[in-house]
Amino acid sequence: MSVQRMLSLAAVIGTMLAAVTFAWGQEKILRVPMATEGPKTLDPVQGSTTYENRCCSQFYQTLLQYKYLKRPLELEPLLLAEMPQISDDGRLWRFRLKEGIMFHDDPCFEGGKGRELKASDVIYSWKRLADPAYRYKNWWLLDGQIVGFNEYKDKQAKRVDAGEPFDYEAEVPGLRVLSDYEFEVELTEPVQQFAWKLAMFQLAVVPREAVETYGTKFSGHPVGTGPFILASESDWKRGTSILFTRNPNYWDDRYPTEWMPEDEQYGFHKPAGQRIPFVDKVQVTFFVQSQPQWLEFQARNLDISTVPDFAFEQMFSRRTKELKRSEARKGLVHFKVPLLDFIFRGFNMEDPLLGGYTPEKKALRQAISLAIDWDEMNDAYYWGTCVVYDGPIPPGLDGFPQTEGHRAPVSYRGPDYERARQKLIEAGYEIGPDGKVVGLPPIEFYTSRGAVSEKMVALLERNLDEVGIKLNPHFVDFSELIEAVNNKKAPFFSFAWGSDYPDAENNLALFYSPNVSPGSNHFNYFRPEYDELYRKIRTMPPGPERTAIYEKMRDMIIEDAPYAGSLARTRYYLNWEWVKNFKPTETFYNYFKYIDLDVNHEERPK
Amino acid sequence: MWSYIVRKLVYNVPVYLGIILLTMAALRVRDPVAGYLGKNATQEQIDRLTQDMGLDRPFYEQYGKFLWQIVRLDFSEESWAQRGRTVKQILIDAIPPSMSITVPSVVASAFIALVVSLISAYFRGRLIDRTLVFFAVLGMSISYLVYIIFGQFFGAFLPLHQQWEFTPFAIQGYEAWTSWSHLSVLGLNIPYPNGIKFENWIEYCMLPVIIGVIVAMGYDTRFYRAVMVEESNKDYIVTAMAKGASKPKIMFVHMLKNAMIPIITRIMATLPFLITGSILLEMYFNIPGMGRELITALIANDFPVIQAFVSVLALLFILSIILTDVLYALVDPRVRLS
Repeated sequence: MSVQRMLSLAAVIGTMLAAVTFAWGQEKILRVPMATEGPKTLDPVQGSTTYENRCCSQFYQTLLQYKYLKRPLELEPLLLAEMPQISDDGRLWRFRLKEGIMFHDDPCFEGGKGRELKASDVIYSWKRLADPAYRYKNWWLLDGQIVGFNEYKDKQAKRVDAGEPFDYEAEVPGLRVLSDYEFEVELTEPVQQFAWKLAMFQLAVVPREAVETYGTKFSGHPVGTGPFILASESDWKRGTSILFTRNPNYWDDRYPTEWMPEDEQYGFHKPAGQRIPFVDKVQVTFFVQSQPQWLEFQARNLDISTVPDFAFEQMFSRRTKELKRSEARKGLVHFKVPLLDFIFRGFNMEDPLLGGYTPEKKALRQAISLAIDWDEMNDAYYWGTCVVYDGPIPPGLDGFPQTEGHRAPVSYRGPDYERARQKLIEAGYEIGPDGKVVGLPPIEFYTSRGAVSEKMVALLERNLDEVGIKLNPHFVDFSELIEAVNNKKAPFFSFAWGSDYPDAENNLALFYSPNVSPGSNHFNYFRPEYDELYRKIRTMPPGPERTAIYEKMRDMIIEDAPYAGSLARTRYYLNWEWVKNFKPTETFYNYFKYIDLDVNHEERPK
Repeated sequence: MWSYIVRKLVYNVPVYLGIILLTMAALRVRDPVAGYLGKNATQEQIDRLTQDMGLDRPFYEQYGKFLWQIVRLDFSEESWAQRGRTVKQILIDAIPPSMSITVPSVVASAFIALVVSLISAYFRGRLIDRTLVFFAVLGMSISYLVYIIFGQFFGAFLPLHQQWEFTPFAIQGYEAWTSWSHLSVLGLNIPYPNGIKFENWIEYCMLPVIIGVIVAMGYDTRFYRAVMVEESNKDYIVTAMAKGASKPKIMFVHMLKNAMIPIITRIMATLPFLITGSILLEMYFNIPGMGRELITALIANDFPVIQAFVSVLALLFILSIILTDVLYALVDPRVRLS
């Protein structure tokens, strides 16, 4: 070998070694945006928003989690060694924790070393929901569900009112620790949906030492069992950003081994069984405005972004809703995430004009529903990216109408002006020679203030005007809207519901009569047969029989028309191709641990 | 002068009490607790928080309690939305980022606008004057948002995206450019800077400052020019000209001094906003300042923060008005503080 060739070879090897050394030494920092001013707290028991969920889910863990790649969504054990054992009557749930799961190292523990997670930690964490110091922010999750828990809460509230401390040692009959790793929960009724709640971040496990050491500061000093830690309190720059650092003592958590066939084209299956997390840090930047977020993403300063409204046409074909080829060539990958949305216009069923269950009253609401053009709204304000459907059950859940156009067997979805006019006549009204409905006063409609809202109402006014109905809109602040609806003062209102968990029961509860305003049944809908069915489905396991009842309940609601709808948004996500294993979802947020980065990708800024 | 200041302060006490009364009443028209707790709140939760916050007490009692807190500068109440943080902490943390933007903006825009208006007045009616007025009107006519969007795109995004060598500004964000120490005065920890990282200021603050200056300059230049032109028609100018004083001397010595009263009024009126910040700039540039905190508190129905914020803002306004009167007397001997 000539000297020249030897030198060339040495140069090539040297370059390769340098590249490997560079990559080895490079930290993997995932940079993601959050479209908000950020979380207000990092304490699960005080959190409620998706932003708090996104942050808390990195530090804290729940008993169950969603399978990352499976659709429709399914649960699997996270802190548990196996799925809970449920007794035949469905009321007794026995849990066994994984052994060897350690809390983050923190000065609140002896010697600063995180201790092992025990069953008593779970019970302690759940009892915090009953503590008035946390304003019962998430009490609704366990309210009336566990034997003796409501009594415990009331007793403790009296103690606190009397100036005594909250007693975490007091027994709750339905919460029993069996050993360090085992405990059981006795439910007041065999509610199947309890399992979904076990994956909600508000029920994540926290160590008592940290809560007691840091007091009110605990909300900014997370100590959990999760894959990431807050290395320093200053890593959370309130209103600006938060930096998650990989937990060096994270337990042996692995990348999922189950996936959907379509995941393979993205290579989501490749790391199956590998230890997670993959990245060293996650830098989350908060954006109140979408313009700077979009510029940061385009400048490759962010790895992932949602697509803001103003950029949709720039990136996607309006006809196919697919990423333009010119954009795909830049190294962008896109995903569409259907949201569990139920966007509707609600009626107050107790309103003297619009409410009631007589055939005439029903016909009036059906007429209004038939006059509303949801497809036009979808095209005009959402680029046609939403799913328009019948009923209150959003796409992806049992009971969602799978037919063409997502129409249920009973449907009063517009626009069908001729049928709407017929319904108005059935309701006892006459259509005058000028096309106006004789004797029907203007419909009082409440909606939240905002430029887009005003445009949407203009469309609604035009729709209703087609059948001669006049609308009298009230634009109010969101808090006023809630107040008007809670006080049953809004006859017709604009609202939306995002499912708390992927089970139609959550949406069907919106029409259950014990939940009437100020509860979540804002329609004040009351039908004993419906309530009966609702109580039945709460105890039924998933299956065709339950789905059939879901559909029956759905059709019952559509027939009574306590609302007009429905619409579910689709969120468009983009990421650069150096981001690996990112399968977006908005139902759960503990997925940073699965994401990896190709730090050697030539387009990625170093 | 001191007696004047004390008297003015005393006169303004009822004004301030009235402002606080109105603010507190306005915040209680709709139940702040129900708004804060949101859609899942039960009546029990609402009642408990109402009780915990003392909102079930008679209004006069709440009013008296809040006034006593203001007298003691006691803003130690916990934020509703940001548990674990006191109102005082939120205010103190948000002041430095706001002032990093507003102080340079106000100083620079006032200085530049003054110079430009003097030039404009000096060349009154000529091409240079018309050109300057044209640009001032143009500057005023364009929306703040347009400046921000263009500024972010051309000032920060494009250099980064095209990988130019000179990429001085970040698209958004904020990094502290001073390290702070705190001086304890009347129980309040007043922050003061004790170390400077100027490169951080250039990267994160300079672009918003430039935009702030451009926006303010149009208004300021037109106003100052009008003041100068009005002054130039006064008798003392004619006298000075008759005595043979040079035009620059007339303008920069005689006229400028006499034009200071309206100029001071305008500058002083902006002083409270040095603290409260520029909401739009803070929102678009992700600067965690006072303006953004206020908006965030309003959205989150963070009742203690809103109440404290408004009371501080009202106090600043009153103090700035008194300070303006004092400055009048200092710059113009004809003004007597009596």
